[in-house]
Amino acid sequence: MTLLEAAGALRARRVSAVELATDSLARIQALEPRLNSFITVTGDAAMARARQADRELAAGSPAGPLHGIPIALKDLFATRGVRTTCGSRVYWDFVPHYSAAVVERLEAAGAVLMGKLNMHEMAYGITSANPHFGPVRNPWDTARSPGGSSGGSGAAVAAETLFAAMGSDTGGSIRIPASFCGVVGLKPTYGRVSRYGVMPLAYSLDHMGPLARTVRDAAAVLQAIAGHDRRDDTSSRRPVDSYIPEEGCSIRGLSIGVPENYYFERLDPDVKTAVETAIQLAGRLGAAIKPVRLPDVDALNTVARLILAAEASALAEPILARRDQFGADVLALFDQGRLLAATDYVNAQRLRRRLRGEFGRVWKTVDCLLVPTTPAPAPRIGETTTTLGGVEEDVRLAATRLVRSFNALGYPALSIPCGIGRSGLPVGLQLVAAPFREALLLRAGAALEDGGLRIPRCPLAS
Amino acid sequence: MTDFKAVARARGLDIPEAELDRIVPTLEKLEAAFRPLAADLPPSLEPATGICPLEEDGAE
Repeated sequence: MTLLEAAGALRARRVSAVELATDSLARIQALEPRLNSFITVTGDAAMARARQADRELAAGSPAGPLHGIPIALKDLFATRGVRTTCGSRVYWDFVPHYSAAVVERLEAAGAVLMGKLNMHEMAYGITSANPHFGPVRNPWDTARSPGGSSGGSGAAVAAETLFAAMGSDTGGSIRIPASFCGVVGLKPTYGRVSRYGVMPLAYSLDHMGPLARTVRDAAAVLQAIAGHDRRDDTSSRRPVDSYIPEEGCSIRGLSIGVPENYYFERLDPDVKTAVETAIQLAGRLGAAIKPVRLPDVDALNTVARLILAAEASALAEPILARRDQFGADVLALFDQGRLLAATDYVNAQRLRRRLRGEFGRVWKTVDCLLVPTTPAPAPRIGETTTTLGGVEEDVRLAATRLVRSFNALGYPALSIPCGIGRSGLPVGLQLVAAPFREALLLRAGAALEDGGLRIPRCPLAS
Repeated sequence: MTDFKAVARARGLDIPEAELDRIVPTLEKLEAAFRPLAADLPPSLEPATGICPLEEDGAE
């Protein structure tokens, strides 16, 4: 059952919010020993909220699609009265007295918040092998990483302990776990979803968005959380579109750009095959497939890495004296950022503006881009290098090389499952559009899903 | 190429020598990739500060 199907069943009184929450908690209890996707389960509060949702439904209160739906949050969204660790020893006992804007909006929409999800420490990495709370495991193969940093979000949605989860994405941290776990992940446009109350990693690169089972489910979550928030200086005042694609929506006539450069280089053969098959499907569904040549993606990735390193270390400086409280990989990244020159950071931001202008020209020729999300399926837990196209790469740099640039550009990007590789692991593709064109991306994604771009349920969920 | 170990010492950062040995090669690679890109930026090119909403930043 999808989120929207559950919402329909709730409104028709075929199921109650209490039943959905009870089922969610039972699945969490059964699967957590294998997944470790949660840091905190707020079972009592969730049941109380579910009972309230049922009373509201019985009273005929207006109910949106999230009303009574079990959802959880990556553990960097501040939750009033509930521990918020950021996956870190430093924030082990941090209990905020406020909630993030996203949390407020989800609660206002009637969502039943089930708890806080495990993640890569400080959201600074892609494996979610958390040294303090234990590694999150991929439900498709528990010896493998779910990706990260929103690894608990991806694993829980794939295992169907939740209908949707919130993640954050600074260099791919929603889309990578979506790809590795075979779920949908949406990084909205920078400024579309408030960052207020979310522990920052890098101010100018952080984005908040949902992971869900289907594109329409992700759209339903975005509908609830998008919009201006005066507490976030980067929050856009642009009106919120209608995001949930209609049944029977089409991509006929949509112009989809397929890059000739960069994105299809050094791919795992299973990824290449799955994404190319999806491109053919888009063509059969009536989209115009156009080859495009993009500006220097490698340069943009370099710029984004430098900005991330500088901003993250500036933020962490006050806590870096507690060296023994950080995992080795995260500490190394923070130390790197402390050694960068201020002039390099400023020049990286200047280059970012130039490249943003160059990339923006692609929207004069196509409506969206279709590219792989990650160059390979999920790595094994503990794997530090991978070989693609005969080149050995750091696992983190490989996993981020097709996603990171869209953080620097601020473009909306939607990862959807597009196949299962020979290893039995899911493969994801990424649709990318101009700023604030989430509705177009979601329509394209839903049309592809309706047209057959779906993968089987994760065996652990079945 | 920047002497990152000297920078760490000059700034009095408490980064152990072994850790420096581990991170300096990554920094050198990043610097080698970045510096040529930034070599010819015109003075009129201002930073994308990221503190204003994207639509006000002339990105579209």
